[in-house]
Amino acid sequence: MQPMINPRHSLSVWTAGLILFASSTAIAGAPQHQERHFAVKNRPVVVLQNIVNGRIEVKSSKNPEVVVSSTATAEKVAVEVEQVGDRIDISASAMGSTSEPQELQADFQLSVPEQTELQLKTQTGLIYVEQVTGDMKLESVAGDVHLKEVSGYIIVKTTGGSLVCTLCSGKLEFMSISGNAQVLQPALTNVNLMTTSGNILYDGDFIRTGIYTMKSGRGLVEVRFSGNDSFDLNARTNLGTVDNQAAAFLKPDTHTHHSTASRYAHSLFGTVGQGLAKVELSSYSGTIRILKRN
Amino acid sequence: MQCKDFESVLASEGSGPLSAEAREHLGGCSRCQDFLSDIDSIVAAARTLSSEVTPPDRVWLSLRAQLEAEGLIKEPAETALGPSWWENLGFFLKPRSLATAGAALLLAVTAVFLTHTSRTTNTVNVPTETSTAKITGTTGPSAPGGVTNSPSAPVDVTAKNSAPGPAPSRVKVLKPSPSENASTTLSETEVDVSNMRLAGAGNAQVDASLRQNLHTLNEFIAECEQHLGKHPEDELAREYLNIAYQQKADLLAAMMESGRSEH
Repeated sequence: MQPMINPRHSLSVWTAGLILFASSTAIAGAPQHQERHFAVKNRPVVVLQNIVNGRIEVKSSKNPEVVVSSTATAEKVAVEVEQVGDRIDISASAMGSTSEPQELQADFQLSVPEQTELQLKTQTGLIYVEQVTGDMKLESVAGDVHLKEVSGYIIVKTTGGSLVCTLCSGKLEFMSISGNAQVLQPALTNVNLMTTSGNILYDGDFIRTGIYTMKSGRGLVEVRFSGNDSFDLNARTNLGTVDNQAAAFLKPDTHTHHSTASRYAHSLFGTVGQGLAKVELSSYSGTIRILKRN
Repeated sequence: MQCKDFESVLASEGSGPLSAEAREHLGGCSRCQDFLSDIDSIVAAARTLSSEVTPPDRVWLSLRAQLEAEGLIKEPAETALGPSWWENLGFFLKPRSLATAGAALLLAVTAVFLTHTSRTTNTVNVPTETSTAKITGTTGPSAPGGVTNSPSAPVDVTAKNSAPGPAPSRVKVLKPSPSENASTTLSETEVDVSNMRLAGAGNAQVDASLRQNLHTLNEFIAECEQHLGKHPEDELAREYLNIAYQQKADLLAAMMESGRSEH
C-alpha cells in the first residue's frame, strides 16, 4: 500500500527546496572578503596580477607586514596569495568562462611598509597607490592609475586608462594609447610621457638638471611652469600648433643651433631662467600649450 | 696539522685522495669533518644543476635592435631577415597555439625593422623627367650617381611614393621599406586577432577597450603613413609612426594573450 502524500505537505517541501537552492546560489555569487597578513623583514616586493576586473588600492603603514584584503565573488574568482621571503605574489583569475561580467571581479586593498616595491597589473578598475616609496610598475588595460605621494622609479603602462600623479618624486614613465596623463605638483627628476591620442598636463616645477619628455600624437600637451624654474624648452608639432602663453618668460634659445626647426609646421625653442633642465614637448597633430603658473 | 692546513690541502688537492696526515687530522676533528661534508654537499648539488640554457632567438633580436639603436653595430638587419622570412611569418602565425609566441617574436622583429628604419631614413626623389630614382641613406656612403640604401646590399627601388604624373619608363622598382613590411605583418596579425574570440563575455569591457584602442592606432598609423607619403623626410612623423607600430604590436600581443587566457 502506497503512503498517501498530502498535497499541502508536498508544496511546502518544494518551497523549502527552492528557498534553499536560491540561497545557496546567492551565497555562491556573493562577494567574499578575505584578509591575510604577511610579516616581512626588509623592503618587500609585492606582485599582484588581476586577470579579472577590479580595483587595487595600496597604502603604506608603519608595520613590517603586508596585509592583503580581497573581495571577490566566491566560486567564480580564484584569489591566490603566496609568500616567499619578502616577496608576496597575489593573483586573481576567473574559475570559469560562463560567468556574468559583474561576477568576474576582485577588489584588493593592500597595506604595505612605506618602502615597498610594487608590480601591479589589472584589466579594469582603478589602481590607487598612496605614500609608497620604491620602484613600481603599474599596468592596466582600461583602468585609471592614481598615484599620490609616491616616490621611486615609476612605470605606468595603460591601453586606455589615464594617469593622475600627485606629489610624485623620482622618475616617471607613462605609455598609453588613449589614456591621459596629469602630473601635478611633482618633484620628479626624469619624466617620459607618451600617449597616442590622450592629453598630457604637467603642472609643477622642473627640477634643475632634470629631463622631461612629453609626447602626444593627437592630444593636447600642456605645461604650466613656475617663475623660478630654469629649463631649456624644445616644443615641436607636425600638424598642430604651439600655443605659447608665456612668451614674456621665454627667452629665445641661445645654447644650440636648431637647424631642423624650419622643418616642422610649428616649433618653439626657448629658455627659462638659466636653462638648467631640459624640456622636450612634441605632438603630431595636437596642440602644445605653454603657460606660467600664477 | 691544524684546521687551516687541512683547508689548504683541500683547496689544493680538490676532490683527490687526502694525504695520510690530512686523514689523521680529519679523523679527530669534527669541525673539519663538517667542513668536508659541506663541500661534498655543494659539489653534489652543483652536479644536479642543468647545463647552460640557450636563450630564445627573440632575445638576440631584441639585443640586436638595442645595439643598433645605440649605434654600437651598424650592419643592417635586412641582411639577416630577407623578404621570404616575412612571407613565411604570416604562415607561422596562423595556428592559434603559436599565436602568442608569434606576437612575441613579431615584437622583436618589428623593433629590429623600426630601429633600422629610423637609422636609415631614406630620402626618395623620383624626378619625373629623369629615369633613375635617387636614394640617399644616412647610414652608408652614397655611391656617386647611384642608388644606395645600405653599405653592402644593392637595392631595388619601389616607386610607391612616386610623384604624380606619368611614371618614367625606366624607374627602378623600390623594394618595400622595412616600415611597410612591419605594417603588412601587423595587418596580417590583426586579421588573425580579429578572428579570435577575445576576453569573452566575462571581460567585455576589456575586449571593447582593446578593440577601440586598436581602431585609434590604425587611424593614427594611416594618418602618419599618408603624411609620410607626401613628406618622407619628416622625422617627427616617422618617430610617431614607429611608436604607433610598436604600440600596435604590443596591443595585438595583449589581445592574443587575452584570447588565449580564456581557452
